[in-house]
Formats: sequence, C-alpha cells, structure tokens
Amino acid sequence: MQREARLRRMEAVSAHPVAELLECPPAVELLLNASARCIGLDAGDAVFRQSSACQGLYLVLSGQFLRRTERLQVRLTLAPARAGDLVELAAALGDGQHTYTLTAQTAGSVLMLPIEALNQAFQGYPPLRMNLLRELAREVSRAYNSCCLSRAASHRHASSAA
Amino acid sequence: MWPHRRFEENPCPSSRPNALYSNLHSSEPMAGFHPHHPPEDCINCEHRHLRMFCNLTPEALADYDGIGIMMSHARGAKLFSEGDAARNVFVICYGQVKISSTSRDGKTMILKIAGPGDVMGLSAVLANVPHEVTAEAIEPCQVKTVRKQEFVDFLGRHGIASMHAAKSLSGEYLTVFHDAKRLALSGSAAGRLARLLLDWGRQAANGKPEIRFTMALTHEEIANMAGTSRETVTRLLNQFRRDQWITIKGSSLTITKPDQLERLTA
Repeated sequence: MQREARLRRMEAVSAHPVAELLECPPAVELLLNASARCIGLDAGDAVFRQSSACQGLYLVLSGQFLRRTERLQVRLTLAPARAGDLVELAAALGDGQHTYTLTAQTAGSVLMLPIEALNQAFQGYPPLRMNLLRELAREVSRAYNSCCLSRAASHRHASSAA
Repeated sequence: MWPHRRFEENPCPSSRPNALYSNLHSSEPMAGFHPHHPPEDCINCEHRHLRMFCNLTPEALADYDGIGIMMSHARGAKLFSEGDAARNVFVICYGQVKISSTSRDGKTMILKIAGPGDVMGLSAVLANVPHEVTAEAIEPCQVKTVRKQEFVDFLGRHGIASMHAAKSLSGEYLTVFHDAKRLALSGSAAGRLARLLLDWGRQAANGKPEIRFTMALTHEEIANMAGTSRETVTRLLNQFRRDQWITIKGSSLTITKPDQLERLTA
C-alpha cells in the first residue's frame, strides 16, 4: 500500500517534457534560440564541475552523461542524464553554483541556455519562470524520495553492521 | 480571504522532557533572531534585509504584506505533516522548525532545522503533491502562512518574488542533496556527526573565525540526522569534548579544532 502511494507520488513528480517546459511566444523563443550554444563532448569530458559558477541551463541532446559528486578523496555517482533531460535547474534558477560534476560517459552534445538570456526571457514571458519553478519543485520532490531511499539503505546497512 | 494581519496561536502541550539542549534560556540569541521584538508585519520588520525570501522591492513587499496571516506556534506544534495536502506556504519570521520525514521502516529522519527566512512547503505546493516532510516547531516561533493559490498568484505578479522562490527551492534541493551526500560519503558515524557539527557551525559562524552555535536538538534527534543511535551520539560528543575538539556550555557548542573534525569526515 505504502509502496503504491510512493509510486503514485513519484509519477506525480516525474519530469515534464522539455517542449512543454520551455514553451513560450515566438519572440521569446527567438531570443532563446539565438543565445543557445550547442556543445559537443567526447567521452570523459566534463560539461561543468562541482562548485563552479553556473553559466546556464543545460539540455542533453545526445549521448549519456553522469552526475558525480565528490568530497576530498571520495566520489559518488548520483544518476545518469540522457537526451531530453534538463540539467541543473537548481543552479540556473537558484544560487548559481553547480552542486555536482556532469561528465560525458559517451560522446554526445548538450544545449546551453545562458543565464542572461534566460533572465531576459523571464522578463518577456513570466510564465516561463513559473514553468521552470514548478519543474524544480518536482525535482526537489524526487530528491526527497531518493534521500528517503538512501537513508533507509543506510539504516539497514548500519543495522546489519551492528 | 484571511483578514489582514491576523495573528493566530497554535499552542502545543507537548513539552520536550528529553531535550538535553534548549536555547530557550540561552543568554545569546541566534544570529538575526530577536526574541523580544517579533515582527508585527512585513513592512516594518527590522530583520527583513537579513532574510532571503522577504527582502523584496517596496512594491512586492506591500503586496506580500497584504497576503497570508501571522501565526504563533508553541514549541512542539506541528505546522504540517508528511502526506498532508499542501494547502499553504510557510515563511518563518523567527524561531526554529524541525523538518523530518519517515522512512518505510518507520524511522524518523531529520533533514534540517529551518530558521528565520526559510520557506516551507513550497516544493509540495508548486509540484502540486502532498507534503513530503513534517514540520514541527522546536521552539516558540512566528510563521507567516499563505494560502497556496494566493502565494502562486503573488509569485506570478512579482519577478523578484519568483526569483527568491527559486533560490529557496534551490536551497531545499541542496539540503536534501547534502543530506544524502553526508550519509553516503562519510563511512563512519563519527564522520557523519562531525560533518553535521561542521555544517551547523559554519552556517552559524557566517564567515567569522569562531565556530559556535546553539544546539536546539536532543541527542536522539541528532542521531536521526546522522543516521546513527542516540547512545553513539552521546559517546562521540563526550569523546570530542575530552579530545578538546569541541566545548559545550549549556546549549552553546564551540568547535575548537575544526581540522580534527574535518579529518574524521574523510
């Protein structure tokens, strides 16, 4: 029962299609298209690094990427990012610093929408920011769920170790 | 529509008999927290410039002041519970609120202690899902409570407010992210507790050299945050104190050797 509720919740907060999220009037669309930069990457290349300043919002176009975080000598792989995924909404809309490193696992490409252009687009079409805010809220909800799972795993690990 | 500037009380009889640390009688208030002068409204709030969300332009502030109600909550009062429908957004004016969730095996896990200026319930309201967490006052607090639609409309009217909301959501995301990272990257209980103390200390120190903060949580609650047992927290705090890495006076904890704690987290 609880599992079903959790699944329903995960379904409710699943990521919305990028076309829906970035839908805006032609003038704003033109502005975003004109400023967007396509970046090609080889396997092993980093798109951005943890703690560096966020330049914009990234959309994965092709290839497979990995979100990795590290502290001192320890590294942790968080989750893959695939074509169609919007990456680092939290940094682009929020505090402007990357929370993790995004590395290409295979050759691929990403589209970067610079922050300045995004801010101009928000001014020209405020619902765009609300759409992205709602997507960020869904991402936070998904993070809460993952956190609960990792905590449960940690407790199980601690109990079995004891 | 709620009457403007209405104050309500949400008393809670539950005392915290097992609280080993309480900052209720602390002689030194937390940064930006002036218990004797709670803000009466948002326009005249003297702490506004210190807060992330409420530091708005005059126009947005006047609008913000006109929505929602101020509510006082007693220590132990629940503002909302995990699974409740998200009908309101809560902005803490003063006081501290414990944010926790329950795992599938029934364990309570404290994710963070929210303080003045923090916005609660925002992700659930915007994602249109029930609350993912429970919010409980750990000391008397005052909270501005705004209805869901009223808050969403307010964000739509003011770009600066939606920008602050984005920062708040981003902060919420980081909290969850760091919590998962703390558990995953610190192998030992000592490492996780050390990381927690360092995080709290650095947050309270705000760049000052002395790392000191008020501990409002019980050892049990700290154990829930560090993913360990109460007995282990008590033993480790005593050990850190004996090693002179920390000092504890009443509810105030000072980290005297942050490097040593940092080493434990490796």
